Amino acid sequence: MSSPMALRTLLRTPPALRPLLLQTSRAAYHSYDHAEQPVYREAERTILSSALAHVPTHGFTQEALTLGAKDSGYLDVSTNLFRKGTFDLVKYYLVSQRMGLKDRIQFPDENIGVGRKVRGLILERLRANVDTGIVTRWQEALAIMSLADNIPASLRELGALADEMWFLAGDTSVDSSWYTKRASLSGVYAATEIFQTTDQSTEFRDTEQFLDRRLEELRTVGGTVSGGCTGESTAE
Amino acid sequence: MSSLSLRASKRFKATPPTFTPWVCHACRQRRTFAFTTPFNQQQPPPPQQQQQDDNPTHFGFETISSSLKASRVGAVFSSVASNYDTMNDLMSLGIHRLWKDHFVRSLNPGIRPTSGKEQEGQRILDIAGGTGDIAQRLLDHATTINGDTKTHVTISDINPAMLSEGRKRFAASPYTTADRVDFLEANAETLPTIESNSIDLYTVAFGIRNFTHKDVALREAFRVLKPGGVFACLEFTPHLNNSLLDAVYKRWSFGAIPLIGQVVAGDRESYQYLVESIERFPRQEEFRDMIKEAGFMVPGGGEGEGWEDLSAGIAAVHKGVKPV
Ligand SMILES: C[S@@+](CC[C@H](N)C(=O)[O-])C[C@H]1O[C@@H](n2cnc3c(N)ncnc32)[C@H](O)[C@@H]1O
Repeated sequence: MSSPMALRTLLRTPPALRPLLLQTSRAAYHSYDHAEQPVYREAERTILSSALAHVPTHGFTQEALTLGAKDSGYLDVSTNLFRKGTFDLVKYYLVSQRMGLKDRIQFPDENIGVGRKVRGLILERLRANVDTGIVTRWQEALAIMSLADNIPASLRELGALADEMWFLAGDTSVDSSWYTKRASLSGVYAATEIFQTTDQSTEFRDTEQFLDRRLEELRTVGGTVSGGCTGESTAE
Repeated sequence: MSSLSLRASKRFKATPPTFTPWVCHACRQRRTFAFTTPFNQQQPPPPQQQQQDDNPTHFGFETISSSLKASRVGAVFSSVASNYDTMNDLMSLGIHRLWKDHFVRSLNPGIRPTSGKEQEGQRILDIAGGTGDIAQRLLDHATTINGDTKTHVTISDINPAMLSEGRKRFAASPYTTADRVDFLEANAETLPTIESNSIDLYTVAFGIRNFTHKDVALREAFRVLKPGGVFACLEFTPHLNNSLLDAVYKRWSFGAIPLIGQVVAGDRESYQYLVESIERFPRQEEFRDMIKEAGFMVPGGGEGEGWEDLSAGIAAVHKGVKPV
């Protein structure tokens, strides 16, 4: 995190999320060989996915968690199964969307550059926030993620998403630029996602343009994301 | 509280506890046993326990027969019943109140009224509830935080002297008027008057280390809980996470506490038992596995440890959810 590019990315990111960019630990590369993939038990999966259906109406709240438990035949008090409460709900959303990314994405042409693939992946991941109806509630999730206790896990999850994206984009090199690549992609993703929560434009066009400006900056300043990231969308 | 410590310090001056044989060992024993005799006659041990009667078990570091243990534990708590708060203060370095607050807050008892629907409230069983310290907090949380005016707590304890402290506490309470609290004298290992699948939340704070057969008590908890119901235990841990702290705390608990106990309650032996029973209690991993063994799912069991350490691990919260 010492290059001027990384520093700029850091400074552009809202203060609450800056710590997320400072992580340089753990070298697990992509989801296929993650050592510490959270394993959800049947009951957890049932309750948490039922709870997510209540997030558009109730937000990332204890209320949503309780309703999820009751929908699954559990009791109000059963939410004690989740040590971190609402953060467990946020984390389940993050993990399941990361794991689901590989099934959602289809590149029209496998030969487009890594850069275009990354752009497509980011847009696809952001589209999930719209499809699931949680985008209007995502600021609550960000607030929960930025609580001191939750920062390390949120940060790990963001890093894992970046790893997954580089992997799905076909960049499998494990070289010295790896940490930089992960940090810059994490930074771009986090910033764009925050932008998305305030975007009022039709079909989130402004978010797309915001993303393109961030990627363009990376290309001209850092040169990490190569292969042409400007111009029209490739993931549509 | 302040008058008590004043009294304690006076006594401390009057009788340096280091070399004074405070009271005759045998007399102390007899006095405390005499105290619980009526109770032991009232409640014959359950049949299953009779078989195990001759099995050796632990009373602190002494090994005694199972049947004796229940009565000696009874004796200990009779002799400290009215000083129990002071005792907890000493062993937790004064923070047991915060732990209890945290314990209850994390459990979030009570049911929020959702629009239009009439809620029934929860059935909570506070085992080893003694003086009702936990029950009071559970009811307060349900009422003030969740706006639930129905949730009911049964305070259960093996020891009538502890229960009568609880009765005193709730005598003038609005919870008594509203019929939201009752008392049950019972051994946690057999709760025949409590129906299977009838309880939402089972709590036990600083109690389970005293049970003769912890596994039997855990299975009984599993039986009385509804599917989805929660077992929750707050207990001192035998070892601190940090070995230096562990050594310091052990010096404190083995040395100072029994002495202070002697001063405060005039009963060194009972306090010695309490300290030793903590040492005898299984480690966090082991206890978590016992909870799983009884059939519960433990929180964070998929990826985490399955319990929560408090204050560098002087105490821990264990929870289990009965699967649906
Ligand atoms: C240290 S007190 C805890 C009281 C209260 N829960 C608190 O946190 O302040 C331990 C209690 O466990 C009770 N106890 C011991 N063995 C028991 C058993 N086998 N069944 C039920 N209660 C028991 C004692 O009578 C005593 O009231």
